Formats: sequence, C-alpha cells, structure tokens
Amino acid sequence: MTRIVRAVTLAVLAITPAFAADDPAQRKDLTAVIALHGLPCGEVVSYEAKGDREFVATCKDGNRYHVFVDKNGRVMVEKAR
Amino acid sequence: MGAPAAPGASPGTTTAPTPASREPKAESAKPPAASTAEAASKPEAASKPEPAKVATNAASSPRPATQPKVEARPATQPKVETKPATQSKPEAKPAAPAVADAKPAPAPEPKPAVDAKPVAEAKAAPQAPAKTAAPLDIKSLEQRLKETPAIGIMTKLSLKNQVDDLLEKFREYHRGARKVALDELRRPYELLLMKVLSLLQDGDPALAQAINASRDAIWQVLTDREKFLQLT
Repeated sequence: MTRIVRAVTLAVLAITPAFAADDPAQRKDLTAVIALHGLPCGEVVSYEAKGDREFVATCKDGNRYHVFVDKNGRVMVEKAR
Repeated sequence: MGAPAAPGASPGTTTAPTPASREPKAESAKPPAASTAEAASKPEAASKPEPAKVATNAASSPRPATQPKVEARPATQPKVETKPATQSKPEAKPAAPAVADAKPAPAPEPKPAVDAKPVAEAKAAPQAPAKTAAPLDIKSLEQRLKETPAIGIMTKLSLKNQVDDLLEKFREYHRGARKVALDELRRPYELLLMKVLSLLQDGDPALAQAINASRDAIWQVLTDREKFLQLT
C-alpha cells in the first residue's frame, strides 16, 4: 500500500513540473506579449501557468510578470513581486 | 516593402552606366507604348516636371507602394517595382539633354536599382496589370492572421487588443468626436504594423509580405470614412 502511495506521489511530483513547464512556444508567446506591452524583459526563461491563460513569467533580466487575460478579453501584463 | 525600396533605389551609384545600357532596351521596348510618343512629342519644358515627380515618388518610402497599387500593378514586389521603371523610361530620354540641370539628375537614380532585375518583365507588366491587381482582402488577411502558427495565442489576443484600440481611435476620428489628426493616427498604425510584421517575418513570411504589401491599401480603407464604416 505504502509503495503504491509513494509511487503515485512520485508520479504526481514528476508530472507537476512538466505541467507548469517549459514549452518553448509558450515562452516565446509570453516574450512577445511582454514586448508588445513595451515592458523590459529580453526573453522569458521560465514561466508558471497559474490557470487558463494566466502565467507568471520570469525574464532573463530578472523581471517577473503576471500575464493574464482579464474579463474583458484584454491581455494584461503586470509586474509580479 | 516601401521602406526597403527607397534605400535600394537611392544608393544607385552606377547611374551613368545603367541608363546608358538601358536606353537601347527602352527604345526596343517602346514602339508599342503610346506614352513614348507622347513623351517624345512633348517639349522639354513639359517633360521636366515629370522626372521630378518620379524622383519624389521613388524617394519617399510609403508612396511607391501606394502608387503601383493604385495603378493596379501586380501584387508581388518585384513586379510592383517594375512599374515605376516603365513610367520613367520615356522620361529618361528627355532628361538626357537636361542632365546638366540639378533636378533631373536624381530621377534616373531610382531607375537603375529598380530596373536591375526584370527588363523583360517590365514589358509584360503593362499587359496584365488588372489581372494581378491584388485587391485588398482584409477579411482574408485577418483570417490568415488568426490561423497562423507563427504567433502564439496570447500574442494574438494582445495584438487584437491593440488593433481594436487603434480602430476605436479611427472611429473617433470619423465621428469627429475627438480632435484627432490623421497624422497622429498614422504613426501608431505604422508601429502596430511593424509589430505584426516583426512577429510574422520568421514564422510566416508569406503572410508578412502580404500584409506589408497591403500596408497603404489598409491605410486608405482606414482613412476613408465610407470604406471604414463598411469594414467595421
């Protein structure tokens, strides 16, 4: 039983980062969005998916941005802390 | 398209050799053209303003794109560029005697660079202008933009937001609600187009080219009240 639980836990842990992960196309997309908003970034090196069309992107220059689509359908980019 | 054409045209350093080599070709190509006869029959004074006109058209970046389009030239870039060549060919002869003058000199400059590729195409171009006249299909461009894999979904949404914002400014302009000058709108329009083009140029160069070729046509739609209302 404990073996099964452990295996499942490991599997979930293994899957989670992949889910949060590093799709180069998504990174490129976020990079473009941030650039379109005229914010400094350079390039998105990693991101975290917070939900459907909601991300926290980490830039090469250390900036972090909360990128999301608001209820009006506008893409918003806010500096994340 | 417009922007690259001007730099390509202006640095025509080999002005002297090319027009000389072109003249025989132009002469051979001319007999069927009625404009040649007109140009020849016109006095020098009449032909002088024409080279100046061509020179300004070729020099200003946005214009060359418009002019050929208006004249229903082929959509592809090289063909578009051949049109000014055919236009200015008749003028090259009258310009020759007046080479000493300061004004006609710049007129031949754009020609060499433009002409370099298709002398033979220049002949064929006048025959099939209406057929290839790329009619502006904004809906099609919009659809292609929506479907292109070159831009991510968030970027597309963001672009759409910016397009909508700009359209709203045009709406205000046409409504006369706010005092917006067209010049003020041209800049953001060009900027937005640059953004789109830079996003597309690597992933979907064909679409980028199509949009770039339609740049002035789209602007005309946006600035024309009737067309704009039809569009929106």
